[in-house]
Amino acid sequence: MSRRIAIVEDEAAIRENYADVLRKQGYEVQTYANRKDAMSAFDLRLPNLAIIDIGLENEIDGGFTLCQALRSLSDTLPIIFLTARDNDFDTVSGLRMGADDYLTKDISLPHLTARIAALFRRLDVIDQPPSPESLLQRDQLVLDVGRLTVQWDGHPIPLTVTEFWMVHALVKYPGHVKSRQVLMQESKIFVDGSTITSHIKRIRKKFTHVDEAFDCIETVYGMGYRWNIVPASSH
Amino acid sequence: MNLTFKNPFGIRFKLVFLSSFLLVIPWLGYQYIIEMEEYLRRGQEQIVLGTAQALATALNERPELFDEGSYSPARRTEDLYVYPVYSPLSLDDGSLLDWREYQQYEVDYGHDDYLRTDLNPYRPYEKEGSLSFKNMVGEYNGSLYAYFKVIDDNIVYRSRDALSVHRSDFLQISMLSREGNSVSRYVIAPHEPEFLYPFKVGDDYSEPIHEERISGQWYETADGYDIELQIPMEMLGGRLGFAIFDVDDPQTRDISTVVATYKAADAERLGSLKLPTPEIDRIVAGMGHNNSRIQIVDRGGRVLLTVGDIQSATGLNVSSRIEDAQTNKYWLYIQNKILNPIYYQILTKPSNDFIDDLYSDVTRAGAHIDSALKGTAFTQFRTLAGGETRLLEAAHPILANGEVIGAVVVDQNMNGLRTFRNQALETLFNTILGVMLLVTLGLFFSASRISSRIRSLRNQAERIIDDTGRVQNTIVASRSSDEIGDLSRSFSNIVERLTQHTSYLENMSSRLSHELRTPVTVVRSSLENLGLTVKDKESAVYLERAEEGIKRLNIILTNMSEATRLEQMLQTEDKEKIDLNAVIHGSVEGYKLAYPDQQFDLDMESGPIFANGVPEYIAQMLDKLIANAVEFSYPDQPITIYCHTLRDHVVIKVSNAGPSLPAEMGDRVFDAMISVRPQEKQKQPHLGIGLHIARLITEFHGGQIRAENRKDREGVTVSVVIPLFYR
Repeated sequence: MSRRIAIVEDEAAIRENYADVLRKQGYEVQTYANRKDAMSAFDLRLPNLAIIDIGLENEIDGGFTLCQALRSLSDTLPIIFLTARDNDFDTVSGLRMGADDYLTKDISLPHLTARIAALFRRLDVIDQPPSPESLLQRDQLVLDVGRLTVQWDGHPIPLTVTEFWMVHALVKYPGHVKSRQVLMQESKIFVDGSTITSHIKRIRKKFTHVDEAFDCIETVYGMGYRWNIVPASSH
Repeated sequence: MNLTFKNPFGIRFKLVFLSSFLLVIPWLGYQYIIEMEEYLRRGQEQIVLGTAQALATALNERPELFDEGSYSPARRTEDLYVYPVYSPLSLDDGSLLDWREYQQYEVDYGHDDYLRTDLNPYRPYEKEGSLSFKNMVGEYNGSLYAYFKVIDDNIVYRSRDALSVHRSDFLQISMLSREGNSVSRYVIAPHEPEFLYPFKVGDDYSEPIHEERISGQWYETADGYDIELQIPMEMLGGRLGFAIFDVDDPQTRDISTVVATYKAADAERLGSLKLPTPEIDRIVAGMGHNNSRIQIVDRGGRVLLTVGDIQSATGLNVSSRIEDAQTNKYWLYIQNKILNPIYYQILTKPSNDFIDDLYSDVTRAGAHIDSALKGTAFTQFRTLAGGETRLLEAAHPILANGEVIGAVVVDQNMNGLRTFRNQALETLFNTILGVMLLVTLGLFFSASRISSRIRSLRNQAERIIDDTGRVQNTIVASRSSDEIGDLSRSFSNIVERLTQHTSYLENMSSRLSHELRTPVTVVRSSLENLGLTVKDKESAVYLERAEEGIKRLNIILTNMSEATRLEQMLQTEDKEKIDLNAVIHGSVEGYKLAYPDQQFDLDMESGPIFANGVPEYIAQMLDKLIANAVEFSYPDQPITIYCHTLRDHVVIKVSNAGPSLPAEMGDRVFDAMISVRPQEKQKQPHLGIGLHIARLITEFHGGQIRAENRKDREGVTVSVVIPLFYR
């Protein structure tokens, strides 16, 4: 049975282009131009994944309202914001509404489909026991590449897909400096340097929320970031 | 540079200067009161003259008033003036003390009054100056009183056993009897200083008969003797005369000198008795209470009557200022200690403590009296010797049968008027001083208020736009409804619209990028979709080119909104204590990797440099500066990064060798969308955002950024000054 993806986007051309690509990938795609249509459809049946624009026709924050409504219907439904708004404030707001990822419309279609695939993969493996080969452990940090989940010292860290991929890129080779460019490629987004900076800041904040003493992500000025290995004392 | 000379005369000064014209008001007030005084003075003159005229009219055509008794129209020296005495006189007190008030009327008799008589038939006098006397005659309660102050070098009394009464010093009284034309003679020739024992004698001093109605006392003084006597009025006819007979040789007892009040002892040549005239008295007394001194003089200028005294004759009766408890004592203090001393520098304060030097005389003189006695009424002002008091004197002739028989003289001093003027001026000065103080203070404060409001508006206006021409502040619109408030509101309005416009311009790129993003997304997603379906090689080339173009378009769009995004992020960012040394060191290491062909020189202070900031943004700022420097650097020339502390700031300089900045650009290179790149450099899309971001970050850290041409060589230095961390 194919996955059903809902696209809520008021710009018909974009909506249809995305829908076409996803259909080619084998997904079942439903498209809605506004929040009302989308909600009435979701009330009947939830999709497996929703891609939502924030500005919907005459509702400038219609996407946020829709996201909240969807999240109240299902805790696990993957929701992706796909929007032209690239400012920090909207990003933070969107993620706080419970979206799994916040993407700007510069993202290329392959990157988008990769993300969707990753999210579905996470859904698939969520019921299965974790397979040891998909686990990546660095000291207190445990990365589950299959489920896209991260644990620090046994506490789950709620990262978005983009953030997970960034952490993954850093952790794969601890001590290696990853430039912003590399991190962009790894996390399959296309943004400017300052957006990467704010992504890194958000990731740090999420870690320090669990562990005050967290300082494994080091800024190497002028070059990028690297994952510091904690001194071997814990082993 | 705008060379406008600042006008030193501000609004405040101008208003105060204009208000100084108010000083004319006290001057006008002074002039007005002086004019008023002149007017009142003329009024007083008329009143005084009117009084004189009224009195004169009452006395006109009544020569009998002047002639009562035996007042003869012509003055004769042998006439005796009988002055009214208002208090009882004591005859037995042995002194003239009780005559004191009337002594001014005494008349001297001496050298001119020697008389040849039967007793000294050959020569009127033995020795010049051996005898003289002063005489005064008064009337009280129906009796005639007289005293004689005789100066005699040798007093010879009547011997105890002598029968005759004319062989010693004696006083002879000759009078025309009331009933007939005969002259009676009385002799007072004492044995020693004693109560008088007068005799009535015959023509040759024979048959002395005691006359008891005449009483009095004889007593000696240092240079002679005094006689006081009293004669009942009923004894007297119209004429009376006194003579002092002097004997110098006690052996021969011949009369050596005679001094008399008359020239001959017959009925015709005896002096008249000039009695006070009760009629005049009554008439004048009726006018007496009018604040003036009234005198009646006869044709000889002799004062017949005086009513009132000049000291209290103020004419204008001014009630003195009431200085009771109601008046504030502080005010009183100010008035008396501060204001009055100033006022009386220019005002003269009249005193009632003056002496009319002419008044003591029995006769009155002066131009007014002369004129009146010639038949013309006249007034004059006379300043007394002290100079502080002026007298107003008016004289009006008294006529009878077309002839002048005397004059009424009415005098007033001008002190009342002067006091009135002074009080008026004091009040005027006080009021004007108060009003001017209020007005000047009011003007000063309102001018200060206005100029301070204008200055504050100017300061606000100057702060609106910073050095780079960006709108930084707004003007708080004033709520007051006047012109300045209006100006402030219209300024505020302008600034608001300017701000809107500026913000519209600043957000233009961001909004444009946002608006462009949707169609770009449409194109890109369509191209990507196309790429999935199109398989032939020729089409793939075009697709690739189109995608390349879209990518560049995307970069442009991202750059365009980068500054706006950064600004939004900076608003929520918290600063922390950072080590700039580590940040710059790390960054420069990175640049060496990123730009392998470029040489970097680092001129850096050793040791940590702490600042309050966000390291990522500092690094981002450096990125932009270095990227800019690298781009404009000539090949094989090093880029110098300088970082040193200067007092409480850190100075970061990034210098490259390369083309100089165009002179007209200056600090505008830091504005958004400003680029000085020559066209051939435009391989990559450039929107002039880099240096704008550097400035945003510098300002976020409370610093300043500047670009200038290098002085040592061709090139550009960008300097950033950031305050050091302090706690």
